[in-house]
This record gives sequence, structure tokens and C-alpha cells, in this order.
Amino acid sequence: MRRNARLVLRPIGVEMSVKPGTALADALVVHGVEFPCGGRGRCRGCRVRVVEGSLAESAADRERLSAEELAGGWRLACQARVEGDLVLELRQWSGLILADETSFPFEPSPGLGIAVDIGTTTVVAQLLDLTSGQVLGTRTALNPQARWGADVMSRISAALAPGGPAMLRDAIRTQIASMVNSLLKGAPHAGPLTSAALVGNSAMHHLFLGHDVTPLSRYPFEPEHPEAGWLNGGDLGWTARARDARVLFLPILGGFVGSDILAVILATRIHEATGPTGCTDLGTNGEIVFTAGREIVVASTAAGPAFEGARISCGMRAAPGAIDRVTQDGKTLTTHVIGGGTAQGVCGSGLVDAVAAGLDLGLIQPSGRLAKDPLPLRAAVGLRQADIRELQLAKGAIAAGIRILMDEVGLPPGTVCPFYLAGAFGNSLSVAGARRIGLLPFPEGSVKPAGNAALLGAKMVLGMKGLGAAALASLLPRIRHVPLERRPDFQELFAEAMTFPEGSPQ
Amino acid sequence: MADLSALKASVLNGKRVVAETLAREALAAGVDPVVVMKEALIPAMNEVGEKFTAGEYFVPEMLVAAKAMKAAMEVLRTKLVAGSFTPAGKVVIGTVRGDLHDIGKNLVKVMLEGAGFEVIDLGVDVAPEKFVEAAKQHSAQLVAMSALLTTTMLAMPDTVKALDAAGLRGKVKVMVGGAATTEAFAKEINADGYGADAAGAVSLARKLVGAPA
Ligand code: B12
Ligand code: FES
Repeated sequence: MRRNARLVLRPIGVEMSVKPGTALADALVVHGVEFPCGGRGRCRGCRVRVVEGSLAESAADRERLSAEELAGGWRLACQARVEGDLVLELRQWSGLILADETSFPFEPSPGLGIAVDIGTTTVVAQLLDLTSGQVLGTRTALNPQARWGADVMSRISAALAPGGPAMLRDAIRTQIASMVNSLLKGAPHAGPLTSAALVGNSAMHHLFLGHDVTPLSRYPFEPEHPEAGWLNGGDLGWTARARDARVLFLPILGGFVGSDILAVILATRIHEATGPTGCTDLGTNGEIVFTAGREIVVASTAAGPAFEGARISCGMRAAPGAIDRVTQDGKTLTTHVIGGGTAQGVCGSGLVDAVAAGLDLGLIQPSGRLAKDPLPLRAAVGLRQADIRELQLAKGAIAAGIRILMDEVGLPPGTVCPFYLAGAFGNSLSVAGARRIGLLPFPEGSVKPAGNAALLGAKMVLGMKGLGAAALASLLPRIRHVPLERRPDFQELFAEAMTFPEGSPQ
Repeated sequence: MADLSALKASVLNGKRVVAETLAREALAAGVDPVVVMKEALIPAMNEVGEKFTAGEYFVPEMLVAAKAMKAAMEVLRTKLVAGSFTPAGKVVIGTVRGDLHDIGKNLVKVMLEGAGFEVIDLGVDVAPEKFVEAAKQHSAQLVAMSALLTTTMLAMPDTVKALDAAGLRGKVKVMVGGAATTEAFAKEINADGYGADAAGAVSLARKLVGAPA
């Protein structure tokens, strides 16, 4: 029997012993390394550098990494297996920050910074060396507010009950304090924490800061406190080294469009675009951003949880056992299962692909009607009529939102523009499938995955003078929130967008 | 004899212009508008509802069928002599206070109209007092409320109480629906019924006002 391999992760300083042949992803995921495209070798988001030892080059490595990067020891973690002792450098996202100094100016300042993306489901925090912008560590956790419900409206309902606001606030603050403290423990000699930038949707913003959520619970859904929140580490129960840190929760943009989307705008640099540019963060809330060059419009489309695999009969999250890709060869469907093995369900990207393939094979009509219910995919997993309907609601809401926002900045349908997909789902989605079902009306080449753009945007703020105060003061007036329900043509466009395009779009 | 089955088919298939033309032709041929209603439009919308419940139709098909039905109905309206057609009942409908989701409510409304009900639509973000006032003013037999949000469904019991307080509960039945609500919730807030979809809304309404199915 071979002995276990020793795996050292820098800069977080973790050491572990793993069985030879273990997928590197399995070893890394517990330490907060993210696999934005679901480990499919498409996004480069998981790349690591081999400092000692070796990792075989995979086909995806050769496809996604330059010769220079390969020679420098870079590999996609999601494609690799541990065969012997290894020392790896984790540079998650930092490549995006550091590799391009001109396009992402990082103003060095003393001390450490922490960027936090508070999602409704998950929380991600990264520790940065503010002198260089280098990432020193990452922590991910589930949002402990989940015990009050999965979506923002249930959290808001919980916070309307007596004692609710304090409970929800304390739950998330405690979670973040423990992540901050753990990150600092992982970098014992790195000096004090000087600043932190937090982003999240409107509900997360209000609940964390302790604002009354009543305005978010009912029409007109206009937050009374959209402004940034300023605190310090001491207020939040952070460790002594973080007590004096200035903590900024970035302002929200209106309605349910939060500071995570502000961060996405910064990360995708939509605010610097001189021509038509758009972006969407495809989650339960489905936020959309558009500009034609000057004004930036934002909206949330309430797509529902279909893209996360919820409310789908065989639905599941993008985890091992999920069908995440479906293709067809003119006759039959071929499925790919995350982690191999038997299919246990279908995740959002698999659902989109399966419907695209079903349309191509005539198993699903453009109206969404299934020729035969259910449509079997693999093993016991299949799609039912109601699942297709759920997807139609979700994609109809997004597609109608895109139409409306383009219209709000004067872009006629059919305008080709760079379009970014932020967030985990957007990065795992097959663009061809999304186009086939009419979710994205843009040519394949113009759609670009943007990784965890909310977190990247928060890090960019840490690298700005005065935590971006001046930059944001000039940016915010350019951003207009569009409440979609006030567009009288929403119903019409939504209904139109619910049906699937006839043949393959060109 | 005008072709009522073609009119029915045009509504079912959402052909608005055809439906309008055929309705006009039927009237020109001397068919009683009440007969056109009862033999073409109402059965067409019944079938639309059935197809929706069976998963064969979805929101877009239902919306185009509704448009065709309305176009034909508009033609008839001018000729429906007052009193010649007795509505199945009078319904006051609206999306509850705080909520603006109205697509489901709009579908319920046209299905009720398609079933021969007279529907007074209060729109969205409707306060409990407005439901009460409209129910009184129009002597409605039914109040129908829609809510899509976990937060706004809580406005439903307020309306039920307000109807109680106004002494209307004996005369007016309450039905609720929309994605946030459930059968159990309807019971809990003391409503008279819950409908899962637009077709369910019609059979429920018929039951509550004691109209034949
Ligand atoms: C379209 C939509 C919107 C549109 C609404 C446009 C409009 N004019 O209605 C827009 C984009 C504006 C919107 C906004 C918001 N939305 Co919205 N929206 C949806 C969506 C995608 C579809 C709803 C819909 O139209 N369904 C189709 C209709 C036909 O179905 P239905 O309404 O359920 O109606 C049927 C039955 O319920 C029944 N029925 C309906 N009413 C009645 C009444 C009676 C009496 C009876 C008997 C039967 C009945 O019959 C109908 C036909 O069969 C859902 C997600 C989803 N997948 O369901 C979210 C959803 C409802 N929205 C949601 C939210 C949170 C919002 C926002 C508050 C926040 C946001 N994310 O932006 C905003 C604010 C809206 C506002 N100001 O009120 C959440 C609610 C979550 C919760 N737990 O409460 C959902 C579920 C999405 C999600 N999970 O995030 N939304
Ligand atoms: S390339 Fe490895 S997770 Fe995307």
C-alpha cells in the first residue's frame, strides 16, 4: 500500500494528509476553495500553482491556461489528482486582481483587509494583504439565517415578528465574526486588520445593519436606508487584532438590488464601459444590469429557485450526483454527472441543457409542452411537465427583464454587447443551452463568465482610497433602479419570453 | 347558421382576429348573443382551464385565449340587452395590500369572466377597506384575493376580519389563491375556499355562489 501524500496549502498554511489518487478538489473544498464552474475546467477560477512536487497537465489545463502559466506550475485544481507530496499556492481570484495592475489599480495601504459576500445561502470571506492585494485566506460558510427560511422573503417575515430583527442580526454577525477571527488566526504574523468591505442583497444589508425591514416586505419595496453602513470591528465582536478595523457595508441600489450588485458592477467594470454592456447574477432573485455607456440601470426579476434546482421534481444543487450537462447527437440525450457515478438528480445547468436538447430533438415543443411526460434523462432522473413550466417562469422573468432594461437605456432587442454572468450558477451554465432556451439573447462569443464578481468587487473596494468613498459618490448617481412591476408591458413581454425559440438560433 | 364551433376553436387557439370576426358574423346571422356566450365562449374557456390544469396549456396560451375571448365578448357586449344574460355571480377581485404580482390574478379574472361571472377588478395593492367598500357597493357575492409573497399573504386575514366587522360575512364569501397561499392557510384565516389555479378558481366560485357547474 502506498503511503499517504502530504499536502501543504499556501498561503493559508494548512497541512493535510491525503490518500494518493484523491481528487484535489475534494481536498481543497473543505478549505474554502471555490469551484465556480462546478469543477468542469471551464472558468479557471480554481487554479493553483505547484510550488513543490508535481501535478499532471490535463487537457483542460492545456485549453484554459497559457504555455507560460503551465510552465509556471499553474493547474486547474478541479482537474487534478494528488499522486505525491505537494506544496500548492492558492491564488483564488487573486490572479484577477494582481495579474492586471492597470485594469485593476490596487492602492496599497498598510495592514490587512477582509472582503465578505453575504449571500442568502452562503457567506464567503477573504483575507487580503493590503500592501499587495494578495489573498491570504478564504472562509466559506452557510448563512445561519437559513433556519428562518431559504429565501429573502421568509427572512423578512421572520424579522417582522417580535424579537426577530435581533435574532437574525446576531446570527449573521456571529457567523461573520467567527470567519474573521479564523482568517486572522490563519495569518498570525500579518499585522492588524484595518478595513473590511461587506456586500449583500438588500435584505442581507438591512438584517446585518439592524434596519427595519418593513419597507422591504411590501409595495413599493423601497428601502428607507439604502445608504452604506459604517461600523468597527469592536462593535461586531471581532478579535483584538480587528477591533479598530473600519467596517463598511456597501450601499444598496434600490428595491431588492443590493450592494452585491454594486460590487458586480465594479468587478465587471460596467461603469467604465463606453458602449452597450450588460450583466446578470442568476440566482433566486436574478438581478440584471445594463448600460449603453452612461446611465446604468438595474433591476431584480424574482426568477425563483428553479436555477438552483429547487421546485424541480428531481432537482438538486450542483453537487456530486447531479446531472449538470446534457447534450444530444440528433437522436439521443447524453448526460454528464458531477463526480461520475449514478445520477441522483438534475441541477440548474443540467435543467437548462436538458430542455435545450429536448427542444432540438422535438421531445419538447416550443410552447414547453412535453411530447411524453416524463422525459427520462438518466437512471431514475427525468423531467416532468411541471418542471418545464417552472423553468419557463424563471427564464421568462429573466429574459423579460433583459428586454426591459435594454429598452430603458435605449438599446433595441438584438443589440450585441458584452454580457457578463456573475455568480456560481452563471459560471456553470452552458451558454449554448441558455441561448437555445431563449434565456440569453446574445451570441455565444459575447457572453463571459465573471466568477464571484460580488466578492471581487468587495476586494476592489478594499484596494481603493478611503474604501472607495469618492469613487462611489460619483458612481451611485449614475445608477437607476427600475421596478419592473411598474412597466405596464411586463406581462406581455414575460408571456412572450416564456415560450422557447423555434429552431436553433443562429 | 353561424359557425359557433369555429368561434370556440378560435378562442381555444388564441386567434383574436378570427374570434372577433366570427362573433360579428354570428350576430349578423341573427344568433342571440346569449347563445354565443353559452355555446361558444363559456365552453371554450372551460376547456382552456381544463388544458391548463392538465399541463397542456401554460400562461402564454391562456393569455392569448383570454385576449381572443375578450375581443369576442366586446363584440357581444353591445348587443347583450340589459337583463338578457344573468351573470353566474358578482366577484370583487384584487391582489392584496403590499403586493403587485397580478398575472395570476388577471388569469383568474378572465377565467371567471369566461365562465359568465361579472368581475370587478380592484387591481393591485388593494387595502382591506377597499375590498369591503367594493363588495358593498357592487353587492358582490364573492371576494377573491391573490397574494404571491410570504409577507403579503398576511394581509388576507385583515380583509376577512374587515368583512366580518362590516357585517358582510353572511352575504359575501371569500376565496383566496396565489403562489404563497395554501388550502391550510385558507382554513386558518377563515376564508371560504382556496383555488390552486385559474380553473380551480372557477369551480370554487361556482360552488361558493351555488351556481351549476
Ligand atoms: C413574474 C414575477 C414577478 C414580476 C411580477 C409582474 C406582475 N405584474 O405580476 C416582477 C418581476 C415585477 C416581480 C417582482 C418581485 N417579486 Co416576483 N415573481 C414572479 C414569478 C417569476 C412568477 C409569478 C407569476 O406571474 N406566475 C404565473 C402566475 C400565472 O401564477 P400565480 O400567480 O401563482 O397564479 C396562479 C395560481 O396561484 C392561481 N391564483 C392566483 N391568484 C389567485 C387568486 C384566487 C382567488 C384563486 C382562487 C387562485 C389564484 O391561479 C393562477 C393561474 O393558475 C415568481 C416566481 C415563480 N417561479 O413563481 C416570483 C416571486 C413570486 N416573486 C418573488 C419576490 C420576492 C418578488 C419581489 C418582492 C422581490 C424581487 N425579487 O424583486 C418583487 C417585488 C414585486 C412587487 N412590487 O410586488 C418571490 C416570492 C417569494 C416569497 N417567498 O414570498 C417569487 C416566488 C420568486 C422567488 N422565489 O424569489 N416578480
Ligand atoms: S475550471 Fe476548475 S472550477 Fe472552473
